[in-house]
Amino acid sequence: MQLGYELIREQLFFRKELIERLPWLIRLRWIAAGGGLAGCAAVYFFRQTLPPLPLVLVIFVVLMNNLLFKLIWQYVPPFKYQKDLPLTSSHVFNARDVQSFSFFAHVQISTDLLALFLAVYYSGGIYSPLVHFFIFHIILTGILLPPVSCYLYGILVFLVMGSLLLLQQWSVVPIYPIWFHNTLFSNESGLNEIIFRYFTLGTVILVTAFLVTTIKLSLRTKGRELLQLSKALDESNSKHTALYEMVKEMGLCSEPKALMDSATRQAARIMGVKACSIKLMDEQKRTLRFASTYGLSEDYTKSKDSIDIQKSPINRKIIEGSVCAIGKIEERDYFQYPEDIRKEGIASMICLPLRVDKMVLGVFCVYSDAEHFFTESNVQFFELMSDLTAHEIEKLKTQLNRNWFLQKSAHQLRSPMHTVISMLKVLKNGYLGPMNVRQEETVERCKKRMEMLDSLISDLLRLSISRANLSLDALRPVHAQRVLKSLSGLFETQAREKAVEIAFLIDDELPAIPATERLLDDLFSNLISNAIKYTQPGDRVTVSLARSEEDKIRIEVTDTGIGIPDEAFSHLFTEFFRAENAKLYTEAGSGLGLVIVKEILDQLKGTVTVKSRIGEGSTFTCHFPIR
Amino acid sequence: MEGVKDILIIDDDKDLVQSIRIILERCNYGVRVAYNGKQGYDKIEAKPPDLVILDVMMATDTEGFDLAYKLKQLPEYRNIPIIMATSFPQAMAEQGPEKFQHILGESWPVSHFIEKPIDPEELLSVIEKILTERKKEQ
Repeated sequence: MQLGYELIREQLFFRKELIERLPWLIRLRWIAAGGGLAGCAAVYFFRQTLPPLPLVLVIFVVLMNNLLFKLIWQYVPPFKYQKDLPLTSSHVFNARDVQSFSFFAHVQISTDLLALFLAVYYSGGIYSPLVHFFIFHIILTGILLPPVSCYLYGILVFLVMGSLLLLQQWSVVPIYPIWFHNTLFSNESGLNEIIFRYFTLGTVILVTAFLVTTIKLSLRTKGRELLQLSKALDESNSKHTALYEMVKEMGLCSEPKALMDSATRQAARIMGVKACSIKLMDEQKRTLRFASTYGLSEDYTKSKDSIDIQKSPINRKIIEGSVCAIGKIEERDYFQYPEDIRKEGIASMICLPLRVDKMVLGVFCVYSDAEHFFTESNVQFFELMSDLTAHEIEKLKTQLNRNWFLQKSAHQLRSPMHTVISMLKVLKNGYLGPMNVRQEETVERCKKRMEMLDSLISDLLRLSISRANLSLDALRPVHAQRVLKSLSGLFETQAREKAVEIAFLIDDELPAIPATERLLDDLFSNLISNAIKYTQPGDRVTVSLARSEEDKIRIEVTDTGIGIPDEAFSHLFTEFFRAENAKLYTEAGSGLGLVIVKEILDQLKGTVTVKSRIGEGSTFTCHFPIR
Repeated sequence: MEGVKDILIIDDDKDLVQSIRIILERCNYGVRVAYNGKQGYDKIEAKPPDLVILDVMMATDTEGFDLAYKLKQLPEYRNIPIIMATSFPQAMAEQGPEKFQHILGESWPVSHFIEKPIDPEELLSVIEKILTERKKEQ
């Protein structure tokens, strides 16, 4: 079925010339008929002996025919439907589609030849200059139709011309005089010249047919090679596109298991096989275990769950770097228990080391239910896929390790500090006996500085984790209004403690935006706590969340606080920067809050603008896209 | 006549344990201490306390949670109230609440969370509240 489709596709590829030439022939025929009429007029003008009426009639018939052809081309379904069809289309062609074009070409060429015969006959037979036009027809036939048709038309012309000459010689049909000759030519010219002209015409026609068909066959061979090459390129292109999609999907995974599941699923799909598996080596490099499988039964994976590398020569070889491509499971003594593999429906497989530089992580296999399924190019392509997968696994592991380190550092840094703050609180609250005023003040200062350090560490870690997580947290639809609402209580308390008025204007009908709750939580918290921090008691903070333009959501945090001096604007989003008036106003502040805001907006593909006047307040406006 | 309430502090930070001990002893609670989950469990087995103050991250990141789940599975210790002292809210803010879904399951093994650094008054009021509730239940 597939082969038949390919053959027809190829045939149609070569018929492309024919399909394009058919309307061209119709256009050309208008010109030829026009030329013929002009010729007749010229002949009439020079008062030649030609019979104008039959020639004009022939041309008229040609014109009528052409009109008919044009209508057929435009309105008869097979041509109408197919003439603009791209050959790369997946439309299933049938043999009739191809045949209808050939038939139409035959009809046109036959009627043209008939018309040309009549024209030749009425303009002097073998002496007519129009006999040269036969060559054009032979060339066209050679190009558009199979070689045998070209030769047959050549022989037909030869035979019909011969018959005409014989009939004229035997006076069965009248002889029409050649142009510019007032007398009948045959008796004067002699038989020898006629025979010479006739055979010259025949030779020219056959040689032309031979040349055209030979060149065409050679072009067709080249065309076939080109078609195969383009098919191979097409396949390779779609495979590489699929590989790109696979790597992209792996890049979005935040868990090694999810990444490997995506790899086995995609590998099986792209390679067009029934199953795929990833086995990873343990720390001691002694055993291999299935880390992810696709298309394998649970019984099979359980029976081979833990493979001792030393006892499995095939796996040992793969770990050492060999590619193992098995065309037929039973062919050689590859396996200890080939019956398990047969039972699973596996007939051939490729197994490769999952390797990053020289470090082997495990074994990557694809399994087919057909024997000798994998070609050499399959193996090479799978090697590429395996290398990319290994790199993605390693990259994710490194990222997770870095995250683990950051989280551990957070705990290690924070624990002693929290203990010190707790102890200071015990001291200050008099659990160890009363303190004098100066002692109490000093303990209070210590506590305050420790709390600032705590907040600096939090900001630093938040920023580092946010940067390290850049590609780990996949964005998904989140309702920003819900995140903001869950925070509003906390900030209302904070504002109340400082006697700052706060108002939340939240649009409940907002669509979800691609984000994570953590990012939005951080973004809103930083903006709002900043606003409260730099606003004096009695002043006001307004937070509004609404839809702005099409596909954008806007959060605007406005305060009537201390404002930002002009010279500070260009440094606002620089690490550890704090404006002079902010430093004077409060000690607390790491100078990282707005950097975090900017990082988050970069991840969400959002923007931030700031408007402020010193002493009057500031407005931070962020926009993020809905899609 | 009501006896002195027995509170067990389980935390690997000896200074913090000492601070909590000072606060609690000042308020006439009986205080026992343990510096890891295993020690803590042994002391619970020896004599179930009225309340446990438990740290989350000790030798492992979830040692405190592991012990809390273990206690909740045992009928004789199931009813001991647990206050978990943790930097958990901060960790949650940094890493995102999604990361804690596996811990924040259906059966929550802890009566109350208290944020580090520990505020003496907050700790005392939480203990008071939990013990009063327990008394009512009994």
